[in-house]
Amino acid sequence: MDKETLKVLANKLMFTMNENEYDTLQEEFDTILKQMDLIGKIKDIDTVEPLIYTIPVNVSMREDNVCEELDLDDILVNSGDTLYNQVKVPKVVE
Amino acid sequence: MKSITDIRNDLDSNKITSKELFDESRKMAIDSQKEYNPFVTIMDNYEEISTGSILSGIPYALKDNISTKGILTTASSNILSNYVPVYDATIYKKLKEAGALLIGKTVLDELAMGGTGTTGHTGIVRNPWDRTRQIGGSSAGSAAAVALGIVPFAIGSDTGDSIRKPAAYGGVVGFKPTYGRISRYGLFAFASSLDHLGVFTRNVRDAAIVTNIVKGQDSHDMTSLPDDNLDYVSTLDNSVKGKKLFYIKEALDNNNNDPELNKIIENFNEVKKKCESLGMTVSEVSISRELLLALYPSYMAISCAEATSNDSNLTGIHFGVRGEGKTPDEIIRDARTKGFSELIKRRFIIGSYILQRENQEKLFLNAYRVRRLIVDKMNELFKDYDGLIMPAASGIAPKFEDKSDKLSDKYLILDNHMVIGNFGGYPSITIPSGFVNSMPIGINITGMTKKDDVVLNIANMLESTMEYKNQIAKEMK
Repeated sequence: MDKETLKVLANKLMFTMNENEYDTLQEEFDTILKQMDLIGKIKDIDTVEPLIYTIPVNVSMREDNVCEELDLDDILVNSGDTLYNQVKVPKVVE
Repeated sequence: MKSITDIRNDLDSNKITSKELFDESRKMAIDSQKEYNPFVTIMDNYEEISTGSILSGIPYALKDNISTKGILTTASSNILSNYVPVYDATIYKKLKEAGALLIGKTVLDELAMGGTGTTGHTGIVRNPWDRTRQIGGSSAGSAAAVALGIVPFAIGSDTGDSIRKPAAYGGVVGFKPTYGRISRYGLFAFASSLDHLGVFTRNVRDAAIVTNIVKGQDSHDMTSLPDDNLDYVSTLDNSVKGKKLFYIKEALDNNNNDPELNKIIENFNEVKKKCESLGMTVSEVSISRELLLALYPSYMAISCAEATSNDSNLTGIHFGVRGEGKTPDEIIRDARTKGFSELIKRRFIIGSYILQRENQEKLFLNAYRVRRLIVDKMNELFKDYDGLIMPAASGIAPKFEDKSDKLSDKYLILDNHMVIGNFGGYPSITIPSGFVNSMPIGINITGMTKKDDVVLNIANMLESTMEYKNQIAKEMK
């Protein structure tokens, strides 16, 4: 795994790492990819249907009842910057 | 701190009040912080709610990735170090309605990713039996709080073995019921298809008591199961004569003659004899080594990929610690760069790599195919057997500086076989089974989905043949 690929992935994930951290990750990837190779050693693995959820999910709609909404003040208290009861961010369109 | 049943009797006979219990538990929690660091937050105020429930007035602790309205909930991550939830998780709501007393929110491996108890933003959690060792994770603080006797029970979450492994390392009981038995509403998602909530206690009966209270279908979690009106306590003492257990032969191969593993296997053989003394049979079953070796890498692929997606909402914009920058993009990048530890970033990059279009077939989908193969195999075995019984780990709690060979059979199979419980959503419990080199070890029992009562019954009867029920870690002064 080359370091440039790792940097591209980090950029997609919207964070950065320092060079030492990339070195550690490169070493870890060597092990991870060897572990992942073990999956491919199972005969005819590509013919198996993937299992995403183990227990069948019965999707049922909730009753259409009026319910308590989250309190606006409670929600905004977690935001670093607010204005007019909304979360404020720097101007996007000049 | 005694068992739930004993505390209930003391409360009902006025030997102690719930306020005195709260104060005692809170003091122990505060005193434990310096040496073991189990808590992110310790509650200040006692609020009595008498309900008539068996848990009314009983202290407990909650992992800090479970939403508690108005109470700081950090998931032990810097990016959420200021986050105060705006709603209650269903499990917390049920415990509150039962009148249980929240003592504190416990430390976890950051965002529940990790099995060491060393990556929380408030520092490492130490093993109450030996401070130089890990307690394991990710539910590290919950395991330590119960092992130290601070609370009779604590809630944890389990995506790979995050309740059941630390339970083994801490000498306590750790139970995760069937997937969906406990609503996940309000649990910070790590890998949604594998995430379970569960409980730490110091005996099996207490685990059944708490599960009775917190289980049930929830309209806020479409994966939650109907209650089935089961009472897990009433079946605990049923005879287990005729029950059939099996273990996986390949997991117990000790080709390197590792002395610690030899002692683990010796203990397992003693446990087998105890099972037989109760009238159960324990059979050796062989499962393809190739499939067993693929379990842990498949777990890594599924969990990292699901986590990468689930945690994309951590931007620091609408909640969490806000970053600096001139544009929203810069703010998010700064928040995520400063807010996540190196280990979490590495996990996310692994997840993102697996999710890249060119890797999806070979890595992402193949991992779910391995999941199908092992679940089909286990379901087939559970037609003939009542449970899988295995050592919970290949050794005692590791030292902080210990490193394991991550490509060895020992690491890939015996140290990580409990992911089977998450792949299949099976009820799975770890109970203490003895000591190796003065450290506790545990046995794990896993059963068919929705057979939580059978798993608890077997565990309870097995526990009755051993002397480790209600033990409290030796180091606590």
